Amino acid sequence: MQAIEVSHLIKKFGSLTAINDISFSVDVGETFGFLGPNGAGKTTTIRILTGVSRPTSGTATIFGHDIEHDTIAARQSMGIVSENSNVYDDLTAWQNMMFSAELYHVGRKEREKKANELLKKFELYERRNDKAHVFSKGMKRRLTLAMGLVNSPRLLFLDEPTSGLDVQSNLIIRDVVADLVHEGVTVFLTTHNIEEANVMCDRVAIINKGHIVAIDAPESLKKTIQSVQSIEISFDHNSADQLDELSHLSMVNEAQKAGDKFKLYTEDHSEVINAVMAYAHTHNLKVISITTLGPSLEDVFIRLTGLQRTGEKIHAID
Amino acid sequence: MPSTDNKGLAKRLSYEISAAWAIAKKDMRIYYFKPNIIVSGLFFPLFMFLAFAIGKNTPPGTLIPGLISITLLFSASSIEPVSIPIERRVKTFERLLSAPISLYSLVTGESLSGFLYSLGIACLPLAVGVFMFGTPIMNISILIISMALTAFCFATLGTLFAAYPTENVGEVMSILNTVRLPLIFISGVFIPISTMPRIGQQIALVSPLTYGNDMIEYAYTGKSLFSPLVDILALIIFILIFQVTANYLYKKFNE
Repeated sequence: MQAIEVSHLIKKFGSLTAINDISFSVDVGETFGFLGPNGAGKTTTIRILTGVSRPTSGTATIFGHDIEHDTIAARQSMGIVSENSNVYDDLTAWQNMMFSAELYHVGRKEREKKANELLKKFELYERRNDKAHVFSKGMKRRLTLAMGLVNSPRLLFLDEPTSGLDVQSNLIIRDVVADLVHEGVTVFLTTHNIEEANVMCDRVAIINKGHIVAIDAPESLKKTIQSVQSIEISFDHNSADQLDELSHLSMVNEAQKAGDKFKLYTEDHSEVINAVMAYAHTHNLKVISITTLGPSLEDVFIRLTGLQRTGEKIHAID
Repeated sequence: MPSTDNKGLAKRLSYEISAAWAIAKKDMRIYYFKPNIIVSGLFFPLFMFLAFAIGKNTPPGTLIPGLISITLLFSASSIEPVSIPIERRVKTFERLLSAPISLYSLVTGESLSGFLYSLGIACLPLAVGVFMFGTPIMNISILIISMALTAFCFATLGTLFAAYPTENVGEVMSILNTVRLPLIFISGVFIPISTMPRIGQQIALVSPLTYGNDMIEYAYTGKSLFSPLVDILALIIFILIFQVTANYLYKKFNE
């Protein structure tokens, strides 16, 4: 039995087709990333998989339970951590945990035990009697995740778990998710942080304009675009014109500046290395470091979703 | 097999009841003391009542049943039109919609908090009647049943209007008031139904407040337009209609 099985799912809002005939499955214990630009259909898919929205056609099952016709049984095994830290600001951390547990029918003794355990794990135990409105963004995020785990779910939906968080919260959340994966919990992760998906996921699906354009392990996806390679280089000093000059070197398709480094995209490493060394010599620059890089998951994402880079930003071209 | 099915059903039912109660408790903790709920549920009916009662040549004690009726109407229907748009805005409502509970439990849980709030508030005019004016109560059992049914009916009405898909409290309140305010004038609270023109009497029949107020009047005076049984039946039918419609609208607007 699969943790999630989606078959020919279509969702239309009037004349707009938000999801267009998508099919995929997620194995038990797998960490599955769901990536896509804004408006690609990620949220609509999650809303259908969690039974909040109904598909126009097609089916989705959670551990064998049809989400449309056996919604309550399907939801019972889920934990849902939405993108917004949707905790009740006027309730204490403890009351938030208890409420969430009651909604998921967790017995009194079990919910108190679980709440104690989770609040300690997320370093919120000392603040359990404080109302959530005094919590920082990171603390609210940790509380949201703790609430999503209070029913010991077999499947966890994680929507942008670490977006915009402080380092401490980020590390705690990643550690807890790693522990969950170790315990055999299936994780369905959506994130804009492609590196996070690269590090955390067994497989990723890339959705664009309602279609799944790729679905595979991150490393397998990277192999599909070997032509996108890059060189990362840093010099002993930088000037304002360097980015423009480097972008005009032979065989450089695109140049980006990232901190004190330049990233040059190319299809021919060796040609560009020669050109860069010559450029450094001409401009009397000392090369501090130079690294050749294969395609990243972000490159795959950009290639498959039709986005394009401009400087350090990514813009939609559709 | 049937006993296993019954056990499963009983377990499911107990889950649904406890989830509804959890939602009600959450609302009680968060919303009962919000200023806009106190204004809408307590002061609004009081001032509305005083505006009509002051200057009338009627013993104040006789006005108590009417005051209880409109207090129940306003207080019971005030919690959800405030709480649900706020929860939509802060995305906590999504938490309820994705929980392993039926929409009926969600609607009932939301209504339950309005119901209990309303009963608590309505005890104030009741106490004023008893302790300040010595207003006699003819039938205490009918009074309890009438207050409970009327409160639950209007709490469900509030939940029904809160289904309107907005994050703006004012928007729901405006729509709700276009229904609540006319109800006061066509339901025999200020103007006896028997003195209304024929068209007014016919409209009064489709107002749940008519039956709630009628039964409360009966509990105090022993006199009423309909028998208490008819009032009870009418209020139960209104509750069912509001509940089913609310369930349908929450499902529809989720999309």
